[in-house]
Amino acid sequence: MEKVLDARGLKCPMPIVKAKKELEALGPSDVLKVLATDKGSVLDMQGWAKANKHVSLIKQTTESDETGREVYVHYLSRLA
Amino acid sequence: MAEPVEIRSRELFERLVTRAEALPILDVRNQDEFAAWRIEGRRPLRYLNVPYFGFIDEPERNAERVEREGDRWIAVCAKGDSSAFVADILRERGLHAVNLAGGMEAWGNLHVPVRVRSAADRLELWQINRYGKGCLSYLIRAAGEAIVVDASRHLDVYEQLLDENGARLVQVLDTHIHADHLSGGAELARRRGAGYYVAAGEGFDLRKDVAPPGGLTIDIRSIATPGHTPGSTCYLIDGRWLLSGDTIFVSGIGRPDLGGHVEAWARALFATLHRGVLSTLRDDVVVLPAHFASPDELDQDGVVQRRLGDIRAKSPELALSAEAAFVEAMRRAVKPPPEVYQHIIAANLSPSHVPDEKASEWELGKNQCAASAPSAARC
Repeated sequence: MEKVLDARGLKCPMPIVKAKKELEALGPSDVLKVLATDKGSVLDMQGWAKANKHVSLIKQTTESDETGREVYVHYLSRLA
Repeated sequence: MAEPVEIRSRELFERLVTRAEALPILDVRNQDEFAAWRIEGRRPLRYLNVPYFGFIDEPERNAERVEREGDRWIAVCAKGDSSAFVADILRERGLHAVNLAGGMEAWGNLHVPVRVRSAADRLELWQINRYGKGCLSYLIRAAGEAIVVDASRHLDVYEQLLDENGARLVQVLDTHIHADHLSGGAELARRRGAGYYVAAGEGFDLRKDVAPPGGLTIDIRSIATPGHTPGSTCYLIDGRWLLSGDTIFVSGIGRPDLGGHVEAWARALFATLHRGVLSTLRDDVVVLPAHFASPDELDQDGVVQRRLGDIRAKSPELALSAEAAFVEAMRRAVKPPPEVYQHIIAANLSPSHVPDEKASEWELGKNQCAASAPSAARC
């Protein structure tokens, strides 16, 4: 299952605060797709996944949404 | 009275730089960002780097870790929101944590005008210090006329100085096309009905060549100083102050490798330093550069300035009097510039407007415009 967390427009620390909460409710084979507009989220998600042994960062991409905003997309999963 | 929960960048500057206080800094950005760029004061500061996501995962453990290191902190992050979150957690534990409002972005955007004290009475000279980025710009005023050199895109500081001093802006000059920050020169000139000039050698035909300073009360002489860029220009004010752009800094010289032609530009720079007009200037001319790299370069009045003779005597790059050795040192000092520099150069060459958010993102970090040739002295 893939769950989407729309954190567009949110400033840090909120994307990670919300992602942590969502991840805790997911099963081990689920994927959390986080949409963020804060560019700082790219390095921060990497740092978070490195520091927290229960968080795995699968991949990151950059896309444009319908309003032309750059959106940083992070795919996360929970490690036991 | 309750203690303040946040401090603004200007007040932090007053405390760390003007008053040389040594406030401990808790930086909650990730390690790479902290390693690349941090708050600096006139005195060495104590730093603790604990990324904010640690306070989301394990608030207790990380707050304890901070407490072990001290009970007073200035909390800093990229934009001031994560550090506010961390400061709240620390205050709940009884620590004195004050958040830097606006974070490193606000720190990098702070501009502080400092009067250059030694200027002659009939001429007033301000050095506008964008301290966090290490960028310097200038406003010169005489008999109600003013010239601004190397204006940043934050025009308030220049407009305020012009208004407070009743000066009419007649010229806006850029010493060269900057790579590390966006120029506000064209926009400032447009708003104030002044002319905007960059040397044509900078490789574009949108703007005019530097005009002769005729009709101005300010004695300003342009000196071609190719090397950092092909059209780099220094401005000699009153025969005594050299606005040296990125050609000469108080502790070194501008890097000639930003255009990808290090050998050719290093040769040009060598000629500028040793054979051009610059080399004929007297030792007591005071250099006022466009950048500084370290707070040590500020003098006791907070001005970044140094006699040309002192720079000649102390700069290892200037001591290289053989062209081949100089070019080789510059070639070996080549380092890849930050990727955004190409975007900034392109934007500074065109009249297009860059949205604030994008501009802030590009301008993060300290300038990297100086040549660093630590081995130069041994060549």
